[in-house]
This record gives sequence, structure tokens and C-alpha cells, in this order.
Amino acid sequence: MPIKTLEIIRKRLEERPAELQTARQNGQKVVGWVGYNVPEEIIHALGFIPVRIAVGGDDRLVEVGARYASSKTCVFIREIVGAFAENQDPYIQQTDLLAFDATCLQNYRAAEVIEYFFKKDVVVLAVPRNFDWDEAKKYFAHEANEFTRLLEERAGAPLDSARLAESVALYNDIRETLKSIYTFQASRDNVISWEEVYDLIQAGELLDKKEYLSLLQQTLAELKELQPNPVIEADDGDSRLFISGSLIPRGDRKLIGIIKSVGGRIVGDDLWSGILPHLDLDIKEISPAGVALAYLNRTPHAALPYLDLESDRRLKKLHELLSTSKAQGVIYHTLRYCDPFTFKAKETKNVLAKSGIPLLEIHTEYAGSDYEAMKTRVEAFVEMIRIKAEFVEEEALLANA
Amino acid sequence: MSLSRNFFAGVDVGSLAAKAVILEDGKIYATGLVPSGVNSVESGLTALNLALGSAGLKKEDLKYIVGTGYGRVSAPYANKAVTEITCHAKGANYLHPTVRTIIDMGGQDCKAIRIDQDGAVVDFAMNDKCAAGTGRFLEVMAGVFNVKLDDLGAIALSATDTVPMSSTCTVFAESETISLVARGEKPENILNGIHHSIANRIAGLFSRVGIESDVFFSGGVAKNSGMKTAIEQALKVTIVKPEIDPQLIGALGAAVIARNFAKKEGLWV
Repeated sequence: MPIKTLEIIRKRLEERPAELQTARQNGQKVVGWVGYNVPEEIIHALGFIPVRIAVGGDDRLVEVGARYASSKTCVFIREIVGAFAENQDPYIQQTDLLAFDATCLQNYRAAEVIEYFFKKDVVVLAVPRNFDWDEAKKYFAHEANEFTRLLEERAGAPLDSARLAESVALYNDIRETLKSIYTFQASRDNVISWEEVYDLIQAGELLDKKEYLSLLQQTLAELKELQPNPVIEADDGDSRLFISGSLIPRGDRKLIGIIKSVGGRIVGDDLWSGILPHLDLDIKEISPAGVALAYLNRTPHAALPYLDLESDRRLKKLHELLSTSKAQGVIYHTLRYCDPFTFKAKETKNVLAKSGIPLLEIHTEYAGSDYEAMKTRVEAFVEMIRIKAEFVEEEALLANA
Repeated sequence: MSLSRNFFAGVDVGSLAAKAVILEDGKIYATGLVPSGVNSVESGLTALNLALGSAGLKKEDLKYIVGTGYGRVSAPYANKAVTEITCHAKGANYLHPTVRTIIDMGGQDCKAIRIDQDGAVVDFAMNDKCAAGTGRFLEVMAGVFNVKLDDLGAIALSATDTVPMSSTCTVFAESETISLVARGEKPENILNGIHHSIANRIAGLFSRVGIESDVFFSGGVAKNSGMKTAIEQALKVTIVKPEIDPQLIGALGAAVIARNFAKKEGLWV
């Protein structure tokens, strides 16, 4: 049975660019943000309308972007640059100001290129490399204050603590509701798919936050009615897959479509464009530094170096999510020239192999030329998981006979 | 043909050749191999009809057909489609149960596959969007030297030296080869270098999936003795001698899987 609220959300997304235009005509400013550690609550509390800039899946725009950024820049960033060059994206058209972070240096480079070539007003939040050092946290707190000061200048007013507290509470509610919804997609006899939840998460990057929370709560209420007791366990014949690696932004549905077309079922992700940024964000202090540090204390982005595999929180989180979702295999998506994730593919595969979880790396870009080759790999991976599951099932039957 | 007999077929439509294998219970009953045409459905059917004809069978005599290879997506004659990775694993395991690692070099891609004792895939890796290490690459090189594709391996093995080849991109390798010829390098030494550069690239694929003995070499390129030797040297392994044409392994695996499906679906008499 379809979830009615999802239809409402789709409709609201269609209406959103025009709505932003009207808001701007009424004096509001739209901030387009890009990055893993951009503290969105601060942007929101200053009265700006935050929208995430996350185009993807258009090879032509990647080529346009390569006229400004190096062709060795990752395809996601090149497409963003290309989208600014063409200025046809309805959300890019509506931005008054941009907020980037320097978590990934390619992100930082995009900020420079967009500011230089397209004369956009860009604010950049510096991010420390050694994110777990006390000195790094002090540095980041300082940078968060500076980031806030630059935004305050553009807002024409100082950040109000009470408004920041309201924004933090709103965002916390959004995160909690999303987590509850996420459980449903991984359950047996699920009434909502991972793909639908993924779209739902990305809808929140664009919609008004208060309205978004209300729509999420409606969605959750519908889900609870349709499926009162969701239990996360495998359905018969499931090939439960988990997606990890480089982000998959709006517009890029190549890999997700392939997985579905060969009968694989996605039951979880730790993507920067998926559920991961919404997990483990614990804001202890209502201040710019307090919010920013909570962002830094989440599962770190792959672009931040960390060499000890045993204590790597990214791998720990991946294991935890695999266990929660009862995934049988990982599809590790790496975008061309997205080095942070590409470099970690082999070590991640080796670490997961010790737990008996197979990993398939899919290295791709936005061109369609590798579609069939990708499909063969994913299909073979799904076959491999299915055969393994059947074998385990037969063994269990024999043991019980 | 008696209906009490059990025939199963696998049809593997690759980019350069279409192959069919008919299995009767536990043994290979007939095979067919034809060059692939533009129409993959026709290519598959031609290979299948060739095998049927040589066995004196009709399509109706087959209990189950599995299609594989890139042509599996449009194989209306097949009951099911299975990827070539799974099929090569089953085919190699059927012929040599001790095989744990497979190198499959076909017309347009190259795969490193690790399997278990039942012929189930444990891990695999494929070459990325590039023709290096494929039949098509070798075809281009044969064209540069104006020799038959089938003779490339023997020529490479007659080399007295190995001329290093820095490029494995088909287009750049072609121009590099022409430069080497112009420099006066002997064709057999250049070809030897080409085979070794491909073998080293394949060794890179195995760094992702690992190698475990016994090692099997399947696909059309497996008929190239020079490539077999270069791979043995690069991977420091001895490749198992195939009992049948290695180009038929995918189709054989598909036929084995067809038999398993037929059994599961109660079609086995």
C-alpha cells in the first residue's frame, strides 16, 4: 500500500523552487550548503533558508565543470561546478549565498572555483584533519565561531541563542523521526523501501524544516498504522545489501536502479547523502562551537585521515549498521576521483571479510557507458549472496532433520 | 529422442563468440561455437542449434536452458539468465573440482574469480572500463602485426627478449607498438612484452581477490599459449590444463546450472 504522505512530499518538492523565489522576493535569503560538517542549525537560526546543493548523475554537466575545475576532481564536485556554470538548476538559481566546508579538499576547491569564476558569495568553514585531537577541536570551535560571524554579517543580525536552541530542537526532532522511519525499510514485510526513505531524507535537504518535520511525523504515523511491529529480519529469497562509500546525490540513481533491477534489496547505508549524517549527533551546548563540535564528533568523513583500523570509528559504525540492518553484503560505491572512499575500498573489504561479509566495489562515474558492466558485477554479487544464503538454509534444514 | 533422457543446455553469448553446451545428466553431450553477430538473440540461437544439430536433438528435447554472457539480457530461448561469473565458476568446478581460482579472459572483459569446493563464487573482480586484457585488445595487436589471432601466443613464445610495453590502453598500445616496430624491435619480442604487460595487469586484479590453487584459465583468450605462460609467470602459479575448449566453460557452467534449476523445479525425470 502506498504511503500517502510520500506523494504529498513529492508534490511539495515540485513546488519548492517557486516557493523559494517568493520567499526571496519577500526579503529572505537562501543559503546553499555543501559539505559533511556544515552546521545547518546555525544557518537556520540566523533566519536563512538552508538548501543542500547536491546535483548528480549528469555527465554533460561534469564535462562543463571540467572547464573550470581540474578533470581529476571527483565527478560530483565537477558536476556542481558545471551546474553553477550553467545556472539552470532551480535551487542553485535561488541561492543568495553559499556555505562550504573543507572536510574534503575537493569541496574546498569547488568553493574557490565557484567564487572565482561565478562571483558567488561563499563562506567556508575550515575543518581540522586530525579530528580526534583536543587541539583540533579547539581549532574547529574557533573556526565555527568565525563561520558564524561571517554568516551574521550577511544576515545583518547576530545569532540569537534562543533561536539557535529552537533550531537545534527542530533538527533533533527531524533526526529522531528519520531514524524511526529508517527502521521500517529494513524490516520483514516492509511497507516502505530503502529507496523511498532515501528520497525522503534528501527531500529534507530542500523543504522548509518545520514543514518537513510535520511531513515526517505524518509518514511515521502512517507506517505505524500499516506495520505496527516492524521486525528487522530477512524475507525469504532476500539479498540484503548495504550501500557504503561515496555519496549518491539527488539525480544519480544509476547504481540504486541497477541493484533493484537485478533483484537486490537495499536495507541500509552509511552514505554522506543518506542516513549517516543524522546519526550520533549529540549537541551538548547551545552555541556555534557546541553545534559544530557535535558535527565533528559524529562518524568522521572518509576524507579525514585516520590510520588505525582497530579504533576507526567509521569501520565500527559500519559494522554496527550492518548488524542492525542484517545485511548480507556491502556494495561499496566509489565515484571516479573521489579518493577518500576509493583509497579505503581495499582495507574496508579486508576488515569486513574477517566478519564474513562480502564487499563489492563499484567504481563509476555519471556516464552511462559502464552500465552493463556494473549490472553484471552487481547481478553476480546478488547471485553470490543468494547461493550462500541457500546453502546456509539447506545446512540448517539438514541439521534439524 | 527418448523423452526419458535428461538434456540441459547452457548458452553463452559473448561479444566475440556465442557458445552452447548440451549436458546429458553428468556428461557433455554436444557443443556449438559461432562468432557473435550484431543480433545477440540470433547468435545464441545459432550456437544452440549447432549443438542440437550435432547431437541430433531438437530444442524440445531440452529440459532447461540457461542463458549467460552479455547476451543473457535478451535470450528468449532460455528459461533463466545467470551471470557469466557464476557460470564460469560452475563450469570450472564441474570439470576440475579442485579449482579455486579462475581467470576468465573474454572478448570485452577480464575477470578474476575465487570459488569454493562447490563451485560457488566467494569473491570476484573485473577489469574497469578498459579493453586491456581482453580478446579485443589482442585482436587489435594481431592487426598491427598482420598475423592471425590464433598465432599470437606462439609468436610471443618464440621471443628471445621481452620489450617492455608501458601502455595497456588499446589505442595508446597500438601507437606504442608502431613506434617500437619503427625503432627496430623484433615483432615477437614486442608481442611477448604485450602478453606480459597484460599478465601484470591481471595480477593486479588478483591482488583484490587473492589466489588459491588450483588455478583455471577460461574464455577465448585462454587458447593463447603465450598468454597462459605470461600469466603463470606473473601469478607464480601453474594453470590447470583444460579438458575441453576453455571458451566453452561459461556455457558449460550455464548447462550445469540449468540441470540444477530443472531438479529444483521438478523437471528432472
